[in-house]
Amino acid sequence: MSDTSRQAYLHTRVSVMSTRLFNPGEFDALMRLDLAGMAERLGFRALLDEQLSTRGKSRAVEQTLIQTLLTELTILTRPMLAPERALVLAWGRRYALFNLKTLIRGKLHNLTAREIEDQLYELPPRLGLADQALLRTENVLELLRALEDGPHAPIARQAREVYEQRREPFALEAAIDQRYYAGLARHVMRLQDDHVEPLRDLVGALLDRVDLMWLLRFRFTYRLSPSETFFWLVPSFRLMHRERLLELVDLESIERVREALPTALADSLDGADTLIELQRHLGAHFARRARHILRRSRSGVARALAYLMLREMDLMTLFALIQGRLLGLQPDLVVAAVELSEPASNPAGRAAAA
Amino acid sequence: MLTPLAMKHVRLLVLTEDLPRAALTLAETESFHPDTREPGDPRLSGTPGHEYRETFQQARTRLAKIGNLIPLVEEVDLTEIRVVDAAELAQVNDWLGRIWRETSRYEEEYRRLEDEEGFVAEQQAAVANFAELRVDLRLLRSHTRFLEIHVGLVPRENLRQLQGAVGLADHMLFNYTTRGEQAHVVIVGPRGHGETELASVLSSAGFQSLPIPQELDRSPDEIAESLARRRAEIEIERQTLGHRLQEWAASFAERLTEAERTLRLAEPFVTLDPSVRNAGHLACLAGWVPARAVADLRRRLDDSLTQPFQLDSRDPLADERPLVPSVPVRSRLLQPFALLVKQYGIPQYGEVDPVPLFAVTFLLMFGTMFGDVGQGAVIAILAWIFRKPLGRLYLFGVLAGLSSMAFGFLFGSVFGSKELLPALWMSPLKDPILMLQLALGWGILFIVLACLLAIYNRLVVKNLAGALFGHHGLVNLVFYLALIWGAVNLATAGAFGWWPATLGLMALGGLAWYNWRHLDAPVAERVLVVFIETLETVIGYASNTLSFLRVAAFSLNHVALSIAIFTLAGMMGTFGHLVTLILGNIFVIVLEGGIVMIQVMRLQYYEGFSRYFSGNGHEFAPLRLRRAAPGR
Repeated sequence: MSDTSRQAYLHTRVSVMSTRLFNPGEFDALMRLDLAGMAERLGFRALLDEQLSTRGKSRAVEQTLIQTLLTELTILTRPMLAPERALVLAWGRRYALFNLKTLIRGKLHNLTAREIEDQLYELPPRLGLADQALLRTENVLELLRALEDGPHAPIARQAREVYEQRREPFALEAAIDQRYYAGLARHVMRLQDDHVEPLRDLVGALLDRVDLMWLLRFRFTYRLSPSETFFWLVPSFRLMHRERLLELVDLESIERVREALPTALADSLDGADTLIELQRHLGAHFARRARHILRRSRSGVARALAYLMLREMDLMTLFALIQGRLLGLQPDLVVAAVELSEPASNPAGRAAAA
Repeated sequence: MLTPLAMKHVRLLVLTEDLPRAALTLAETESFHPDTREPGDPRLSGTPGHEYRETFQQARTRLAKIGNLIPLVEEVDLTEIRVVDAAELAQVNDWLGRIWRETSRYEEEYRRLEDEEGFVAEQQAAVANFAELRVDLRLLRSHTRFLEIHVGLVPRENLRQLQGAVGLADHMLFNYTTRGEQAHVVIVGPRGHGETELASVLSSAGFQSLPIPQELDRSPDEIAESLARRRAEIEIERQTLGHRLQEWAASFAERLTEAERTLRLAEPFVTLDPSVRNAGHLACLAGWVPARAVADLRRRLDDSLTQPFQLDSRDPLADERPLVPSVPVRSRLLQPFALLVKQYGIPQYGEVDPVPLFAVTFLLMFGTMFGDVGQGAVIAILAWIFRKPLGRLYLFGVLAGLSSMAFGFLFGSVFGSKELLPALWMSPLKDPILMLQLALGWGILFIVLACLLAIYNRLVVKNLAGALFGHHGLVNLVFYLALIWGAVNLATAGAFGWWPATLGLMALGGLAWYNWRHLDAPVAERVLVVFIETLETVIGYASNTLSFLRVAAFSLNHVALSIAIFTLAGMMGTFGHLVTLILGNIFVIVLEGGIVMIQVMRLQYYEGFSRYFSGNGHEFAPLRLRRAAPGR
């Protein structure tokens, strides 16, 4: 397949798939439905299965949504060249990292293999970990050592070294996240031609969002020093670049950080007073950027990745909506959860549905 | 030999407590292939072996991990068969857990030594670097009154981020060299300023401090010697650790073997677990057993089970055929051919087993295309010499060589020479037209046989429409025979003939009608598809028959190549003559032999298997006690 025909195929695929993205009105309509109505509208029979517990229903729905996303990811990567595919797959491996964190937490809390397994995402082989082999390890160090023999070796090595020195889960998870986003940025740098700029824009927007949230949390919630906060951040290609991060981490309050933000980012945070509101505004800001790339970019790969990111946001919103219904939460709480929805990397969060 | 071994579906109802014993008995018979389908009765929904399996898998993983450091026995004596109950399995698992915890300490110790060795290597590199620096290195060794200095290693990927981070703690980072994944750095900053902050960042970045040797400013050779000594010491420590591990392992070697034996005895029940369902004390398991082994199975269960049981057997139902396993060929001679057939697929239960036919036709075609006594003998001898690395495939090489030799006698060819041996029949080049005619005749026979097998295979599974109108079914065969009849008429009498033309057109009409009826598409598309498929039938059969001309073509090619080699050799002196003959024969054996092999496989797979062999079956894999180590 020539480059032109690959790009044409990919653009067509993305355009067809992007019709699956939800309009805001569709979510409003779904929020007005009861559980049975939702099950009928979305085709989730598991929601009406009387034999399943609330936790079982929630897990079945979450697994279906993730499968949907990863199936679309697989379809979109087919016409891509190896470096492009590697980037998109690297993004998709976040679910493997969620599993890894779940495994680590499980080992730290001495959960049984069955208890941990219940919380793992089922992933296709090329995106997943060797879960069964890892489940049978008997402590965190053994788990990380076992991972060092596979494709996650760089992440595992850094995580192990940090864990051996610090013995604290925070440093371990921060190291995993940092390696993940740094790896994603490296994949973008390896690309050439027309894809570089739009992908730098897209992944840069993602890193802007992640960096600002991490900066505020690490610096002002966890009270880390400016130097340690900076160390855990991943410089972005866009607004939160290295120099800006160096400047921002050295500021002493959230207000000073907000004042020092570039206008484009500061404007999008207008009206947000708490960290939760900031997270919501940042999510919306990123979604706007991703939609812009999906609509306007000439790079099929950038459009495909933008679509997958938006689709993930949609599916997670849908999941938050369904979980709210399953738990019988008040509509205002469901709205808040829907606006903050992100893939659950926290088993405690998922276990809350139980 | 061609028909599959008849199978029965059996259902065994036993008391749950008798399940491990039943599993062992089934494994001993080596005739029970588990059926993993859910039982029809919804009351049988329990999974009684689940906990047992979990424990087994943990124990097996622990034993494998221990085996990475302590050699385990490969063969285990399983003459005394006994039931391993859940309590015993748990006990073995706990013991293996304790042994693994201890073994993992040794493992960590090995890793520590490995890391230390790497660290000493880095130190050696650092010393080599320091020796070239024109600074007083004593200053780097200790903290000064105003400056704090850290010399060490950091993973290269963290370097840039760490540089920014130490800058925020009012320090400076200087990267003076990089080796592999490690960057050597010096970090300098004001004393008493941001020290705690820096320590935390360094720890997060995986910083390893490199001690500056005391003697650095005096004798670099001594330092190098001391570091080399340290590496030698590490090697000695490693050996000592190995001895210690060996001694420690010797103290429980027998128990480890016993644990291995226990796990092997527990394995059948674990393998069976997905096929077992229960309701309270009643457990049900199902599977496939060769019909002739059912009576023996019943007798063995009678002997071993203490509690009552019920064993029902029945023939496979029509819709179950795709699930029934096929018993592979047991003949030693046919084993290597079975391996090649397996590359295409496993015969579905009921289908004709293609292995014997494949073996005969393969050897006939290979011999015809590569007939030479000498070259065949070389192939057979080489296959025999390398029988160990070749495994079961060596017999394949021996038989191919023997076939080549047999045809070599017929063609009178020894290493390409026609003068050393009188031909029992004739050299292929003597009458090429006859050779081509024979190849064509062989092709027709092969295709007709393949079509007959396809028809038989469909009739066996009650697919009447497929047998009549399907690809290579009866109507196709009628068309093909009419085509051949007409072609023979054309060659002998100069006209196709009315009868074969009528028969062929009727068959084609029948096929077109069948395709038309089974196509769900708009009229234009149906016309197009039916036209193309009918045309494809005509062209396909003609080209497939002509495809067999390669059998004669390669036998002629073989002779032609030999003539070329002898002509070249004739131009040389005595030594050159000999060298050309040897190299030429090696060339023929390697290159032509390889090509002929590929061509025969192509004829088998494409002209044969694609006609009559679905390859959709699955192999009979009975429950058995594993006597060799995992993966062997």
